Amino acid sequence: MRVVRALRELDIVSVAVFSDVDRAAQHVRLADEAERVESYLDIDSILEVAKKHEAEAIHPGYGFLSENAGFAAACEKAGVVFIGPSADSIRRLGSKTAARILAKQMNVPVVPGSEEPATNLEHARELARKLGYPVLLKAAAGGGGKGMRRVDAESELEAAIRDASSEAERAFHSNEVYIEKVIEQPRHIEIQIAGDIHGNLVHLGERECSVQRRHQKIIEECPSHLIAATHPEMRAEMGEAALRIARAVGYHNLGTVEFLADGKGNFYFLEVNTRLQVEHPVTELVTGLDLVHLQLKIANGESIPFAQEDVKWRGWAMECRVCAEDPEQNFFPSPGKILQLREPAGPGVRLDSGVYAGWTVPLEYDPLLAKLVVWAPDRLGAIRRMLRALEEYSIVGVETNLEFFREILNDAQFRDGDLDTGFIADFFARRKPAPEPSPELELVVALAAAAHSRNEKLDAKNGKQETSHWLSEGRSEMLR
Amino acid sequence: MKLQILVNGHAVEVKSEDLGGVVQVEPGVYSVLVEGRSFEARAIRNDAGIRLELDGRRFAAEVRDPRDRGQKSAAALGSGRQNVFAPMPGKVIRVLVREGDAVDVGQGLVVVEAMKMQNEMKASRGGNVVEVRVRDGETVSAGDVLVVLG
Repeated sequence: MRVVRALRELDIVSVAVFSDVDRAAQHVRLADEAERVESYLDIDSILEVAKKHEAEAIHPGYGFLSENAGFAAACEKAGVVFIGPSADSIRRLGSKTAARILAKQMNVPVVPGSEEPATNLEHARELARKLGYPVLLKAAAGGGGKGMRRVDAESELEAAIRDASSEAERAFHSNEVYIEKVIEQPRHIEIQIAGDIHGNLVHLGERECSVQRRHQKIIEECPSHLIAATHPEMRAEMGEAALRIARAVGYHNLGTVEFLADGKGNFYFLEVNTRLQVEHPVTELVTGLDLVHLQLKIANGESIPFAQEDVKWRGWAMECRVCAEDPEQNFFPSPGKILQLREPAGPGVRLDSGVYAGWTVPLEYDPLLAKLVVWAPDRLGAIRRMLRALEEYSIVGVETNLEFFREILNDAQFRDGDLDTGFIADFFARRKPAPEPSPELELVVALAAAAHSRNEKLDAKNGKQETSHWLSEGRSEMLR
Repeated sequence: MKLQILVNGHAVEVKSEDLGGVVQVEPGVYSVLVEGRSFEARAIRNDAGIRLELDGRRFAAEVRDPRDRGQKSAAALGSGRQNVFAPMPGKVIRVLVREGDAVDVGQGLVVVEAMKMQNEMKASRGGNVVEVRVRDGETVSAGDVLVVLG
């Protein structure tokens, strides 16, 4: 959708690919041409579609194959431009451990930790003492929090190592455990970068994505409150650090370098995403740039048409990822058919939505329905505008997180910009139950229910008695 | 004529002339004016009655028309039974309550696993467990009633 829109603005013909469940999806409806593929991971058939439709380039979006070096290489081989970095860059930055080593070489701070696994308890004690407690034990082969243990004091170390390595053994068939320093209340702050094939590299500032559930971002902002309010020097420092890593691999196209920040001005390299990101609109609204246009220019061999000093940040942008999920049931996905939809609009509101009334949200993919993005001159203005847009937004048929966002945006700690990656967990702990609806609200609901019930009966009667002029008159009379 | 409507288990009385302030603006979408205040409600019919959304909040409503035959007594109306549904297809890992148990709001009732995620269905209000409709290990479909609260 996002990409089709950019292509149309540049008079480029778009070809969408779709899987069976996405036959009626928005991106297919909007594209100029469309072709079915067995799966979005099926490289061969995607390249076949490109050949059949004489496509010159492929935009991989931000899921599935967008960070797949094999796909980028296959495009190169097939003579189709891959709109993204080179396969070599993806490979070198894709592995977390390789990227961490590269970051250290480039003088970019990483979370302090052991370079080699702790071999035995004595070794672990020595490493932990050197780093200073609290420390984090992490499975070498791991991911998803498995084999992870926080240790606050040396007395807890022995038991924690035993638990972590047996958990790692069960999950990943490797009991190797690393030790890392714990960054207390870390914020997730990332830097948007762009590079062309002529070696020009710029950063487009930061995004703060600390509000996460299930380790996935749900609210993103540009700029970061931490940087805007207390640490303005961090933007240039982090931007330079991100560009050092990019320069080291000769990076071109868009990318994002992710960091943890501790609130005292320190930041630590996390990883690089070698693609356009879901949350890119907040950067677009604040810098005034169109990042997909920029991607297309770069892929076409053109130079980035501005220099670092031309990049200006104006105002505040905020994004909410609207998902078909139930925040009251641990954010459980809620697929199903969208029966009614009212979308927000008006000043400063941008909605990148992939759904419509009548669309069935498939079980197979991510439950993201839309990205609601607002812009305002300052953070409070953006919060107010977002609340207003959320009030206008209505999705009936599936559970969504719309109401949950309204609660968060009214939370005092959120409004203060006091964020860290544990925000959602802390929010649940201090959350108050929703107040009982007022008698007035109950009366309104009762009136609407009564009117709906009466209309249903009239519809049923109408169905039986063919067309009854009398009834439709009566109905419009009642509804006046 | 008076209508009795249950809104989230609360009985609300409405006179038919009050419906003059209600206009259907789109199918299932109602603009409601009450003493000069403007509201918009969205209604859809489901198995349990009419589901409404107003001001970002969800409501369940049931309309009792005195002309309808076989109407339940007022006492039965006020009892406000509530079904706890399975949100998606999955497998019951554990039933945490028994019939007759008193439960508090937020208390876990049934653990269902789907898409490799375990999920605890919680009571959205306090009450008694009237009926448990599933057993450990049972497969359930989306919308199946797991537990009935009363």
